[in-house]
Amino acid sequence: MDRIPILRMGPVLLVSIQVDMHDELALTLQDDLTNAITTHGARGVLIDISAVSVVDSFMGRMLANIAGIARVLDATTVVVGMQPAVAITLVELGLSLEGVRTALNVEKGMAHLQAVVASAEVFSDSSDDADGAH
Amino acid sequence: MLSTTIFAISSRTSTVALPRCGASTTFGILRSASRDTDSLADDIWSATLLLDQLALHTTDVYLRARQELISRQQQDMLELSTPVVKLWEGVLALPMIGTLDSSRTQVVMESLLQRIVETGSDVAILDITGVPTVDTLTAQHLLKTVTAARLMGAECIISGIRPQIAQTIVHLGVDLGDVITKATLADAFKLALSRLGLGIMRQRHAPVAAHAAAPTAD
Repeated sequence: MDRIPILRMGPVLLVSIQVDMHDELALTLQDDLTNAITTHGARGVLIDISAVSVVDSFMGRMLANIAGIARVLDATTVVVGMQPAVAITLVELGLSLEGVRTALNVEKGMAHLQAVVASAEVFSDSSDDADGAH
Repeated sequence: MLSTTIFAISSRTSTVALPRCGASTTFGILRSASRDTDSLADDIWSATLLLDQLALHTTDVYLRARQELISRQQQDMLELSTPVVKLWEGVLALPMIGTLDSSRTQVVMESLLQRIVETGSDVAILDITGVPTVDTLTAQHLLKTVTAARLMGAECIISGIRPQIAQTIVHLGVDLGDVITKATLADAFKLALSRLGLGIMRQRHAPVAAHAAAPTAD
């Protein structure tokens, strides 16, 4: 059975969906991604769906699920490169993917994730300093 | 016999106005050509059928040509009334004019999303100054467009909401959610620029035009 590769780029996990998703593949991806986030302690997940031209309600729900799971595990999810037709289909299906960050392309999505990761690090550094001062 | 009739009809421009039955008219020719009443009736019948079919054909062609013209103009209007303009690098504007119905919203949405992909814009401004009325359906269409743009990764700002429309929206109980709305296109543009980390500032040493300097010298 084929799997969707999950690439690690520092604190960010990169998932590029190049094939049309079927239900089993989506569930496997969800499983793999959850495991990868915990194993690597990832702070961000970037899902590139620029090659996906067909989308159904299950796929939309899966994206929302992954974002929800990642949030529980303290990681931010960004979905990038959605095709116009896919966006229109999702809106017509009534799936607005609330809580999922989106970006136009991988570059912008990565910039956003890096900003999130950087701000989280600054926050943890300053709290460490505060602890040290006491 | 029929060929004679056709010739007679085509040689005359106004076949409808035939009050007389003289020798020069169609029915005159028919009458003089046929000896018995049966063949005369047959000929008149075929002539009537022919005339009917000609009339039908004329009407058909006329209607079809008109229909084509109307649909072409409708298509032109649809495309002309929804231009997507680029205001700045990364800022798109969509000045909407006219009533928003389902088919127009579909065209608007598609062209906007396509342009977002082409230009890689982060912000899109939907200007509804030219929309005369907003009802629940129109608002729903607007929200759909905004949501679709958000899914693509672009932010949408709705601008140009006139006082009347603002009142209507509130009275209808339409929930615009967390969509950013601005009163004017200028405000929306300013916000869009600030989202991109840009701003507009006055030049410290503004170039003084020659004709502007003349009155101050007096």
